[in-house]
Parts: sequence; C-alpha cells; structure tokens
Amino acid sequence: MRLNKGSSFLITLFLCAGAVISFFPIYLAIINSVKTQGEMFTSFIALPTRLHFENYSQAFHKVHLLNSTLNSVIVSVLGISGIIFCAALAGYKLSRTSGRLSAMIFSLFIASMLVPFHSIMIPLTRMAKALHVSGSTYGLAVIYIGLGVNMAVFLYHGFVKSIPRELEEAARIDGCGEFQTFWRIIFPLLVPITVTIAILDFLWIWNDFLLPLLMLTDSTKYTLILSTNTLFGEYNKEWPLILAALVLTALPVILIYGFFQKFIMQGIAEGAIKG
Amino acid sequence: MPVKSYKHIASLLAFVAPALIIYSLFLLIPTIGGMYYSFTDWNGLNANYSFIGLGNFIEALREDPDFVHALLFTLKYVLFMIVLQNVLALMLAVFIETKTRSKGFFRTIFFMPNMISTIISAFMWTFVFSQVLPQLAEKTAMTFLDQLWIGNPKVSFYSIIIVSLWNGVGYMMIIYLAALQGVPQSLKEAAVIDGASPFQSFRKVTLPMITHAVTICLFLTLNGAFKVFEVVYGLTGGGPGRSTQVITMNIYEEAFSNNFRYGYASAKSVILFVIILLFTFIQIGVMKRKEVEA
Repeated sequence: MRLNKGSSFLITLFLCAGAVISFFPIYLAIINSVKTQGEMFTSFIALPTRLHFENYSQAFHKVHLLNSTLNSVIVSVLGISGIIFCAALAGYKLSRTSGRLSAMIFSLFIASMLVPFHSIMIPLTRMAKALHVSGSTYGLAVIYIGLGVNMAVFLYHGFVKSIPRELEEAARIDGCGEFQTFWRIIFPLLVPITVTIAILDFLWIWNDFLLPLLMLTDSTKYTLILSTNTLFGEYNKEWPLILAALVLTALPVILIYGFFQKFIMQGIAEGAIKG
Repeated sequence: MPVKSYKHIASLLAFVAPALIIYSLFLLIPTIGGMYYSFTDWNGLNANYSFIGLGNFIEALREDPDFVHALLFTLKYVLFMIVLQNVLALMLAVFIETKTRSKGFFRTIFFMPNMISTIISAFMWTFVFSQVLPQLAEKTAMTFLDQLWIGNPKVSFYSIIIVSLWNGVGYMMIIYLAALQGVPQSLKEAAVIDGASPFQSFRKVTLPMITHAVTICLFLTLNGAFKVFEVVYGLTGGGPGRSTQVITMNIYEEAFSNNFRYGYASAKSVILFVIILLFTFIQIGVMKRKEVEA
C-alpha cells in the first residue's frame, strides 16, 4: 500500500506506542527484580543503581526452580509425544478408511471440541482419582494426552489427505506391514503438521494453570507455573522477590520464542486456518 | 468377503484404539458424566444421590444472584474482548504490513506477551496496577493513573480487559498477518490505480479477502473469552467480594472451595457449555453468510 508521509509517520508512532505498552510490564519486572525493596519504592521506573541478584538466588530456592522446571519439562514432553503418537495413528487411519464406522469414530473425536475445560473439570478430577493418575507428574501428562488428542486427530486427518496413496501401496507391495508402512513411510511425511501440533500443545501445556492446580497437591510435583503461584500467595508484599520469580518463570518460554519464533508463528497461523 | 471386512475393522481399531481410549477416559466420559450429574443433587462424597430434574438449573438462574452476576459480568467481558481484541489485532497487522524494514521487529514485540503464561501476566500487571501506576501518578501530573485498579470493581473490569488484551492480541495479529499475506499484491495495486484511497482499498479489497481469518479470530476470541479464568484469578481473585467473579470462577468455587455441591456446579458447567455452543453457532452462521457474499 502506498501511503503519504504524514500517515506513514502516524502509523509508525502508533506502532511505537504499542511496542512500548507491550514491553513495559516486562521491562518493569526485569529492572525491579534486581533492586532492593527500598530502592524500588523510591522509583519503579528508574534503572537500578546496583544489581542485586540476591532476589534471584532467593527466588531460585523458593520456587524450587530446578525441580519445578523438570516437572514442567516431563509433563510437556510426555504429553506432547503421547498426543502425537496417538493422534498420528488415529488421524491417518481414519483419513484413509472410508465407511460408517470410521466416520462415526471421527465425529466422536470432533464432537467434544467445543466443550470448555471448566465444564468437565469436576468429573475429570473424580476420574483422575479413580484411575490413580491425580497427584503425579506422569498422571498429569496422561490427562493432557486425553484432553489434547482430539484436536491433533483433526489436524492429522486433514493433512493426510494431501499425501498420495501410491506411496503406501508401493510399500505394501514391497512387503511392509501396515504399522511399519505408517512409521517408515507416512509419519516422516507428516513432519510439518507434527511440528505445528507440537508447538501449539507446548504453549498450552507449559503455560497451563488450572489443570495442575486441580491435580497436584504435593509441592514437590508442582509445575513451574504452580510453584510461582504459591510463591505469589505467600510473599505478597516482597515485590523484588516475586518479580525475580516471575522473570525466571517467563524466561524459558521467551528463550524458546527467541529461537523458534518463525516456527511458532507459522504453527499458530496454520493451526488456526485448519482448525 | 466377511473375513476381509473383519480384518479391515480390526486394523482400523488397532490404529485408533490408543487415542480413542485415552480420549474417552479423560474427555468423553467426563463430558457425559458432567451432564448426568447436573440433574442430580450429588455432593461429591455421598454415594447416595437422587435425580432432581431441572432443579439445579432453575436454582442457578433464579435463586443464585452470584451466578447470574458472574454470567452477566462474563458476557460484558466477552463483548468487550470480541470487539477490542479483533479491532486492535487487525489494526496492528495492517499497520505492520505497511512497513518493510521494521516489520519483523514489531511483530516480535507485539507477539511476545502471548508467550508468557496468562497467570504470570496477571501477576506482572498486579505489580504495575498496584505499585507502579499510583507512584507514576504521584510523580507526574497524570492523576488519571491514580485509580484503585484492582480494588474498585468498576475500574478493575478495565484492568482485566487490559491484561487480557495485552496477553491475547498478538495471537490474533499473527493470524491476521498470515491472511494479509495471502491477499494478492496485484489486486491492491489495481485498486490504487483506480483511485482508491488506502482506507477504501482496505475496506473494499483487503477486508473481503480475509473474511475467513476474521471468522476464525472471532471464533477463537469468543471461545477463549467465555472461558476466562486465569486473568481474573491472578488480578482480583474475583473480588472485592464476588464483584469481578466470572462464570468459570463461580463454578470452581462451587465445586472445589466451599460447599462441594458437585451436582449443582455441574449444572452451571452445562449452562456455560450451552451458552458457548449457542454463541458459536450464531457467530459461525452469520460469518458464513458474510463469506458467501464476499
């Protein structure tokens, strides 16, 4: 679009103002996390005169950073691999099979896509207790698989249609079994959609708050977000400490964002268009 | 050929089983279970409970002012979010598209808040609202910043909106940006040659070409906004009193924090689900007609 200089300048101004607002809370959290309580109260905006990293070492211990991060990693990795494993198999087969049974199973997966989590959280906690998956990191991952698999089935189902059938037929003639054909021939071709699913599910599971809150009671099992929530409740006036914890919690995703920005944005755009 | 057909079914089931079993256990059965319990007076502990028909639903809508208040508060929130989030996201996307060199920079900055967990965002903003802004108001002459951002329910509604927008606009912006990239340059140039102003060419050329993205973003915002929980939980906790409580919090409180009325809370969950379903169908219906026209 060709714009005259005046409106182009106004747009730049608007974007810059937006950028300042976007970054402002993050900036405030970072600079105040390295101040002392006293220095912070003289001015929140000013840069710190000396860097006080004590807040970080304190926050590091208070949120059991290594342990909580490890828990978050376990839940995310297991949850995502589980979703991909189950959904790729199901989505592929449902897409390739015609007939009433296949269509029925597919609609069964789709049927619940609009059900809000809050509508099932009560029976879900009962179910989790009954199956002994509540209260453990691994159990939490299993529940995430159950909650995330339908969306992934849907995405795989759509993507498989773009893959020519001839490949499977050739493999079968060469004597490949069905599962073997899938893992050796088809699954590698699904990488683009697998990446999309992995990204969307990572952002969801890593940042999720309510499900871990409902499922985990033992603080050694807490995810990063949950530990930070506890700290926020316990030290509600010690802002430098809290801010240090918030920065530590936000850091991993910001780093991942830095490295994988392109994939993340692509993943969101693709997930939205297909979903 | 019954043998072959059995084989087909067996192989279908073998591929589908892992997904279907785990999905049924944690999503399908709880969904059906929740609906079933919503017609009972089950308290979560007692094995004995009885059917009370629509009793829970009537109680929720007629005799529970807190729930009705939460419902209306959520509706107001949804309305604000649908309009503001999409207008802002589309504006940012269109503006960013006009830049060539700074495009990547702005995209990165605007999307960044979306990476941070909603609850963490709410905590960061609690700091801004409760500490930074009052001090800023005192030091500068910007007295309008001196509000009870979190303490006064009238103001904290907007605090909740601000944090939600800060956290969510970037996501919609990415979808709009992707859609804008799909609009052929030649069409826009043709419009310019025909003497269209930038605004006209946006309204008449670009917007009709991206209605699909608008539908998706409206759908995502609508669905997300009805389910709002973390922002309110982190910012006001529903308070003061229950003045900023949203539906999901009301359900949560009913089920987990005080009276454990599972049947009653399930009825509220079903109401939430039905409302979301209804709004989604209306929205998609309306947008589909628009898409056809375009």
